Amino acid sequence: MHNHTPRQGQERFVAPAVSSELPALHVDTSHPPESQWKQAWKALRRNWLFWFSASLLVIILFVVFFPNVLTSVDPRSADLSHSLGKPQAGHIFGFDRQGYDVFSRTIHGARASVIIGLLTTIIVTIIGLFTGALAGFFGGWLDTIVSRGADIFFAIPLLLAAIVGLSALNNVWPDRGYWGGVFAVVIALAVFGWPQITRIARGAVLEIKHLEFVDAARSLGASKWRNLFTHIIPNALPPVIVTATVSLGVYIVAEATLSFLGIGLPPSVVSWGNDIAAAQPQVRSGDNLHVLFFPAGALAITVLSFMLLGDAVRDALDPKARK
Amino acid sequence: MWRYIVRRLLQTIPVILGATLLIYALVFLQPGDPIVALFGEKPVSDAVRAELEAQYNLDQPFLIQWLLFLKGALVGDFGVSYSGQPVSELIGRTLPVTFQLAFMAMIIEAILGVIAGFYAGMRRGKIFDSTMLVVSLTVIAIPIFVLGFGLQLIFGVQLQWVPPTVGSDTSFTNLILPAVVLGLVSFAYVLRLTRTSVIENLTADHVRTARAHGVSDSLVNRRHVLRNSLIPVVTFLGADLGTLMAGAVVTEGIFNINGIGNLAYQAILRGENPTVVSVVTVMVLIYVVASLLVDLLYAALDPRIRYA
Repeated sequence: MHNHTPRQGQERFVAPAVSSELPALHVDTSHPPESQWKQAWKALRRNWLFWFSASLLVIILFVVFFPNVLTSVDPRSADLSHSLGKPQAGHIFGFDRQGYDVFSRTIHGARASVIIGLLTTIIVTIIGLFTGALAGFFGGWLDTIVSRGADIFFAIPLLLAAIVGLSALNNVWPDRGYWGGVFAVVIALAVFGWPQITRIARGAVLEIKHLEFVDAARSLGASKWRNLFTHIIPNALPPVIVTATVSLGVYIVAEATLSFLGIGLPPSVVSWGNDIAAAQPQVRSGDNLHVLFFPAGALAITVLSFMLLGDAVRDALDPKARK
Repeated sequence: MWRYIVRRLLQTIPVILGATLLIYALVFLQPGDPIVALFGEKPVSDAVRAELEAQYNLDQPFLIQWLLFLKGALVGDFGVSYSGQPVSELIGRTLPVTFQLAFMAMIIEAILGVIAGFYAGMRRGKIFDSTMLVVSLTVIAIPIFVLGFGLQLIFGVQLQWVPPTVGSDTSFTNLILPAVVLGLVSFAYVLRLTRTSVIENLTADHVRTARAHGVSDSLVNRRHVLRNSLIPVVTFLGADLGTLMAGAVVTEGIFNINGIGNLAYQAILRGENPTVVSVVTVMVLIYVVASLLVDLLYAALDPRIRYA
C-alpha cells in the first residue's frame, strides 16, 4: 500500500466511495453580488504592501504640494564657500558642488519628477483607454487604423523618440520656464507612450465584448454606446490601471534619464534628474557621494512606491492572484 | 504558415512608412536653416547654398524629400551627413558594436532572468523569492545611469576587473560590464514575468494532469511549467531589442563606446538631421524584424497557436 504524502503542487482527488452525496446549495439572493471593485478593495486592504506604498505616496504627495513646510532654505541659492560641504546641523544632507543645500533641493525636486510621472500617465491612460476600447469594440477599419497607428508610434523606441521630440521642441519652444519645461517632457513622453495602453485596453475589450453579460445587456435593449461605457470599459479597466501604475514609475525614471542626457528639464528647474546629472563628477571620482545619494534615493523610493502600489492593485484586481 | 508570413510582412509596410515619416517630420519640419547652422557665423554665397540644398534635397517639398530618403534607404544608401561623411558608413561602423552589446545584454538578461524567475516562482514566498523581488524592484527604481556609474566605479575603478571605459577596443571581455548594465532593467522585467507565469502554470490543469499521470517532477517542471512560462518572456524579449538599442544611448555614453546609440545622441545634439533619421529608421527596422521573428517563434513554443 503506497501512502506517500502528495508532493508540492500535487493534489489528490480521490473521494471516499461511500459518501459522495451532493450537499444542498444555499445561494443568498437577498443582496446583489459584490462588485469586482468592492471585492478588490477588500483584498487590497488586507495587503500590507498596499498600506506601505500608499502611506509612502501620501508623504511624497505632501512633499510635492507643500515643500516649504519641510524646508525654508531656497533651493536656488548657492553659496560656493559651502561647495561639496558634508551634512551638518541645519543642512542635514550637506551641500552639492555649486553650494546648493541638498536637502532643500531633494524636497523641492519632488514636484517636477512626480508631476511629470502623474501627468504623463493620466494623458497616456485617457488616450490609450479610448483608442483601445473603440478599436477593440467596433473592429473593422477603425481597428486597423488605431492598431497600425499604435504600431507606428510603438516602433520607435521611447527613449530615442523622446530625445528627438524634445530636441524638436527645444527649437520651436525655447526658454520655456518651469512649467513649460515640465510640459515639454510630458508631451514628448505621452506622444510616444500611449500605444502601450491602447494595446492593453484593446486586448481587454476584445476579451470582454463576447461575454454573456454583454449579450444579456444588449438583449435587454442597451445601445452600443451604453454597452461600451457601462459594461465593457469598466470591466476592461483592471489591466489598464495596473499597467498605468507601473508605467508611472517608468516615466519618472525616463524624465531623470532625459535630464541626465541634458535634454529633459532645463537646468534652472530643480529636479532629481538634474541633480543626479550634476552629481556625475562626484560619482566618477567616488567621493562626496552624498551629492548623488539623496536625489537618487528619493527618486528610487518614489518609483518603488508606485511599483509596489501597482503590484498590490494587480493582486487585488486579479481573482486568480487572490489567495 | 507562408500565407501568415506574407500577411505579416505586408502589415509591416505601413508601420515602416509611418514611423519614418513621423521621425522625418519631427526632424526636418523644424524652424531653422540647417545650411546656416552648417556655416555658423560665415556668410553663405547663393551658389554654394543652391548646391548644398540640391545635395541634401532641401530644395524639394517635404514629402518628396522623405520619398527620396526612402528610395536611398531601400538600397542601403542613407545619403551624406552635414559634416560630409556617408551616413551608411557611420552606421556600418557603429551598428555592429551596438548589436554585439545588445545581443550580450539580451543573453545575460534572458538566461539569468529566466533561471532566477523560475526558481522564485517554484519557491513562491520563500527567501529566494523575496530577495529576487526586492532586487528586481530596486533595479527598476534606480535610473540606469546611476547603476551604470556605480558598477563602473566598483568593478572598473576600484577592483579594476574590467577597464572603466571601452573606447575603440570592443572585445568581448571589455563589453561584459556595459552589457550587464544595459540588460539590468530588462533582467528585472524578465524575472518578474517568468515568476508570474511559473506561478500561474504551476496550478494549470495540464500540469496537474501530467503529475496525475505520474510524470516525474523534473520533467513536468521542464516540459510543462518552464516551457509554457517562456511564451510571454519571448514576446517581451522581441520588443526589448528595440529598447536595448535605445538604452544604448545611455550605456554607451557612460562607458564611452562608439556605438549607434552614441552616434544617434551626438547627431541629435549637433542637428545632424540626415544621420538622425537614418539611425532611427535602422532601429525601427530592427524592431519590426524582431517582432516578426517573435510571432513566428510563438508557434514553435505554443502548440495552441497555429498560423493559417
